Amino acid sequence: MKRTRDAKPPGRGVRQSMADLHTWAGLLAGWMLYAMFLTGTVSYFKDEISQWMRPELAYQRVSPDAATAAQRVSDTLGTIAADSSQWLITLPTARSNVASVFWRVPHPQPGKPAYGLAAFDPSTGRRLAVRDTLGGEFFLRFHYQFYYVPAMWGRWFAGVCAMFMLVAIISGVITHKKIFVDFFTFRWGKGQRSWLDAHNALSVFGLPFHLMITYTGLVTLMTMYMPWGAHVALTTPARQQAFDMQLSSFMAPGERAGVKAALAPVDAMVREGEARWGRDNVASVLVMNPGDANARVVVTRGAAARVSTSPQYLLFDGASGKLLDVEERVGAAAQTRGVLYALHMGRFGDLQLRWLYFLVSLGGTAMVGTGLVMWTVKRRQKLPDSERPHFGFRVVERLNIASIAGLSIAMTSFLWANRLLPAALAARASLEVDVFFAAWVTALLYALVRPARRAWVELLWLAAALLALLPVLNALTTTRPFWRSVADGDWVYAGFDLMMWALAALHAALAVRASRHRPRAKAVRGRGAVALPHQEDA
Amino acid sequence: MRLVALLLCVFAFACLAMATGRQQEAVFGRTLAVAASRGFRCAGWGALLVALRLTVTDQGWALGLVGYSGSTSVAAGIVYGALVARERWLAAGDRKR
Amino acid sequence: MSAAFERVRRAGPVTARIVAAVFGGYALGALASVAALALPVSAPQAVVTGMLASFVVYAGAVIWVFLARSARRAWAGLLIVAVPLAWAAWSAGGTLR
Repeated sequence: MKRTRDAKPPGRGVRQSMADLHTWAGLLAGWMLYAMFLTGTVSYFKDEISQWMRPELAYQRVSPDAATAAQRVSDTLGTIAADSSQWLITLPTARSNVASVFWRVPHPQPGKPAYGLAAFDPSTGRRLAVRDTLGGEFFLRFHYQFYYVPAMWGRWFAGVCAMFMLVAIISGVITHKKIFVDFFTFRWGKGQRSWLDAHNALSVFGLPFHLMITYTGLVTLMTMYMPWGAHVALTTPARQQAFDMQLSSFMAPGERAGVKAALAPVDAMVREGEARWGRDNVASVLVMNPGDANARVVVTRGAAARVSTSPQYLLFDGASGKLLDVEERVGAAAQTRGVLYALHMGRFGDLQLRWLYFLVSLGGTAMVGTGLVMWTVKRRQKLPDSERPHFGFRVVERLNIASIAGLSIAMTSFLWANRLLPAALAARASLEVDVFFAAWVTALLYALVRPARRAWVELLWLAAALLALLPVLNALTTTRPFWRSVADGDWVYAGFDLMMWALAALHAALAVRASRHRPRAKAVRGRGAVALPHQEDA
Repeated sequence: MRLVALLLCVFAFACLAMATGRQQEAVFGRTLAVAASRGFRCAGWGALLVALRLTVTDQGWALGLVGYSGSTSVAAGIVYGALVARERWLAAGDRKR
Repeated sequence: MSAAFERVRRAGPVTARIVAAVFGGYALGALASVAALALPVSAPQAVVTGMLASFVVYAGAVIWVFLARSARRAWAGLLIVAVPLAWAAWSAGGTLR
């Protein structure tokens, strides 16, 4: 398919070669990109998902006092990880009702991890005694490093997919550069055109977002993907440290003095941060060498009201509590990187902006999905015998079903597992993840054995059923059914249930359209038919 | 304020759509005079600029640009969807006759 | 079997382009990220700038490779751009040590 001869005239050749590049780049990475897009989309509400997945924690009307929470957690860590060189406490916020804690284990047993990671209760400061779950963090982590494979491999793979996406966007724009001019002169309704129109429309509306999210995604892991400049320039540890401090306030613990000294009150330090940046706008407390005379505490600013993740922090002497340093500026390039990083994470805005991000990102997901399905629709018309497609076509068709309908099933199964697995089960959190992947694999196997069209319809109906029944399961297995949440003004839970029903309706609509699909060489449906995502023209 | 900006963007894209020949035929049954098309285009771009000004004044440049980008995306989608829905509704009506 | 040989031979230019795009593009991006050290800013800022620019260079290289009229031109283009970048990277690396 590649154009490698010199013979063609330049104008037509450009569009054709870019179209081919767009198709190949999109197809090869499309399934993974769909998964990355969908898990990334839901991650904008990961804190709410985490709340839903810990139903034992009551709805918090007011966010817990960060300073008190920090002190209590710090006291607990002083008993369970006293000799640790580093504790990182991510404070609760209006949206997150737990304190996420990371700490280094001072003398790790061989074979055991050298760090601890757990959710703590902000009101008691103790480790959460509720069901062990990754919560919404699972979707975020999957989004950029997948699962089961070593984190580095997962991130590399995500980066490769992101480059494919970037190339697909640029080649797509070059191929259809007239679409900006012709934006409202679309054609619709006939055969594959409706797919093309849906894919084009979704691509164009969200183009600023898609381009931004892809490029900024690469930027978030840029030190890993392109370390060469750092290798050449940062030849001493001091230079490396200076560079790291431009990107993050997570610093390496310094030397211990070997002299014991009690950790100064952490809540006072957090309050100082709140005085500067506002209540609820202190993100984390990093304690280094607690209990030592050389202890240091870094209090880092939160994400609100600032479109940048460049580190802004207060550095305290851990033993005396004295403020040693205030860092609020970084260099121009680092500031640019901070802005790009913040644009990707989307944590700076309020609820409305978050919803905008979610909707446009969902549109991006649909863009990838419609592109994948469009490939099979176009190719089917060119098949010599549409009852016996060639192997490549069948592979694409089945992978489409598994990675689109199958992913919805897998993600919903993860939530089902959260409600069904016994709370006291050991390794419960990783079991929930296992259910996610087991469901996904099962959907793939189902897609392989059933006729393609039936598989689409049946799996979409299954997804719709799982989504619609999830609030029912919630009502049966917890004390927070929909009506109670509405009565309590708990819009996280009520909103979650509503969203499940909305998504169920979406999947049901897609299942209905898919079941009416009649593949034709020249499909004529009538004017104005535009497909919804995933749907083949009826 | 956000809602006002979004509505302005929707109005703007509707005007820009009405400035194209194809949509004029679809909605009015004929292409309009050049002056009318130009008028629509001016109204459309003007509304987009006013929406930008409103958003940036309200939220500053950083948040404002992000919010504006989202508003234009959603507004374009709304207008596009409305035009498509209208055509389908008309087509269904035609088929019944 | 000459038919199979023909197929392999015809796959040559495509393969050359793919290699140029995937690996040559990355190499060019990496080279650009080191070349950025020649900028008249402090080392940390130059490193960050290089990283930010590298993805743009990589994507641009991939697009070029498939726009070029032949696989030979594709490679030639990459090498031509690589020369000044390599020179900048070399001189930057020298002054930093």
